[in-house]
Amino acid sequence: MAKKQVPLIGGLFTWPADKPQLLASKCKKCGAYFFPTVPFCGNPDCPKDKANMEVVPLSNTGKLYSYTIHTAQPAAPFKMDPFKPYGVAMVDVAEGMRVLGMTTTTEGLKIGQQLEMTVGRLYEDAENEYITWMWKPVGK
Amino acid sequence: MKPMREVAIVGIGQHPWGQFPEKSMQEMGVEAIVAALKDANMNWRDIESAAFGGYMWIADRGGIPALLMGTSLARLMGETGIPMVNCVNACASGQAILREAVLAVASGHADTAIAVAADKSAGGFFRPQLRDAAPAKFDKGGFNDTDYIRFCMTGETNPAYWAMELQRRMYDVGTTDETLAYAKHITSVGAVNNPYARYQKVFTMDEIKASKYVAEPLRLFEICATSDGAGAVIVTTMENAKKYTKKPLHVKAITVGTPTFGDPTIRLTFCSSYPRPGVPDLSESRNAIKVLYKNSGLQPGDIDIIELPDNSSWHYLVYLECILGLKQGEADKMLMSGKVHPIDGDLPVCSGGGVAAQGEAVVAQGLSQVCQLVRQMRGECGKGQVKKTKLINGLAQTYGYAGNNAACILTKAW
Repeated sequence: MAKKQVPLIGGLFTWPADKPQLLASKCKKCGAYFFPTVPFCGNPDCPKDKANMEVVPLSNTGKLYSYTIHTAQPAAPFKMDPFKPYGVAMVDVAEGMRVLGMTTTTEGLKIGQQLEMTVGRLYEDAENEYITWMWKPVGK
Repeated sequence: MKPMREVAIVGIGQHPWGQFPEKSMQEMGVEAIVAALKDANMNWRDIESAAFGGYMWIADRGGIPALLMGTSLARLMGETGIPMVNCVNACASGQAILREAVLAVASGHADTAIAVAADKSAGGFFRPQLRDAAPAKFDKGGFNDTDYIRFCMTGETNPAYWAMELQRRMYDVGTTDETLAYAKHITSVGAVNNPYARYQKVFTMDEIKASKYVAEPLRLFEICATSDGAGAVIVTTMENAKKYTKKPLHVKAITVGTPTFGDPTIRLTFCSSYPRPGVPDLSESRNAIKVLYKNSGLQPGDIDIIELPDNSSWHYLVYLECILGLKQGEADKMLMSGKVHPIDGDLPVCSGGGVAAQGEAVVAQGLSQVCQLVRQMRGECGKGQVKKTKLINGLAQTYGYAGNNAACILTKAW
């Protein structure tokens, strides 16, 4: 039986979901977005009123702003087992945000290409597979 | 408000950068303070106010005493009851505490002040410091630790962030592998005769280009190492300065930069940005430089020597552009032209090898840059002295985590 897929840190994206989406805060007053969620709007001209903030899912597609292929293994608390080189990307989504995330592939990434959000495995234990959000080239 | 007094640097002390497992941060700090006092012909009891860098990796080593460095160092130097503050502004801490010391003297609060930072950052990638197994029990705002989230969920290390900015720069203005390697090669030439540098050797173009990728397109030798190091800088009024040194350096301007809302940069320790029209990237760094020129009345063309934060070859290029107000891509040409050669250049940059040759000792890094500027402007670098003789104005800028920046302009005052 397949292990249960559990986000390593909960509450960052919709899960379980067929098309997972990052969860951001939106300011009802000025329209600014923040990820991860925040209690107050970070616009210096907005009142610090929690009632102005709503949690909204971001578009699960975006455009690749830039990326790197990370070949060195980071120290703990990062954990990927077994370790293999991975991509990290900055992705522009429709709401006007630029967000980070790993990529599903280290091959053929191109600045400007369309990506969609999915999830991927970091490591597993006896019960669970621990996952994070990842960006995948559209149509691949 | 009373007019502020003019302030000068009259003493510097530096512990070499490198790996010193046999010493504590505090021991290194004492060595730097003693050297600075000797340089200024002062005693510890002459210091009336002090500002210290607070060490950042206290969960890994050093503990709380390394964060509360002031009273921890006073335990070894001798407690004299003076005001002491500890400041953590990441890699910009060194110049941030120098600003505190300068302000203490400028305001008339004290006649002599010292800035001290000691650091043991050696040992690979910087990492989150959260160690509490159940942080949510006490801290419902756990999402504030975006550093932990970005590190564990996206694998974004510091070099990964730098590499992404670089990849985009290559796409936008065509920066080449050759230029990146050259930035490392040319700064290493300056390190050969700098006894405070960790790597006192020339890195050849071939060996740089043969070094492996850490985060493509950045190679191992194009990224600074992490180091141990300590520095101390003593300031007093311009009026009193000649009592302590023949060669005082006027602190013409010193500031701390922080970001502007809407900056497109996904700063280190953050997971996202919300870019707004008209707001530049690295706004914290550009804000700091803008204040320096405004407060000093100087322009980029007035600067004779520069210490910039070459934490990677990408930094070298963007900070040359930031400091001189160049368009994106122009630094590549300036670097290759030889104008900014660390020793022979018309505008020497990173004369002692820069951060690339030192490795970064986070909170002490800014003081190391200031010490190097002071030695060059006084003409004390021996074989490592820059060829240029007109050294009136020197500029140093440090780059830090999470949108922390600091910069200063020093002016010859003898």
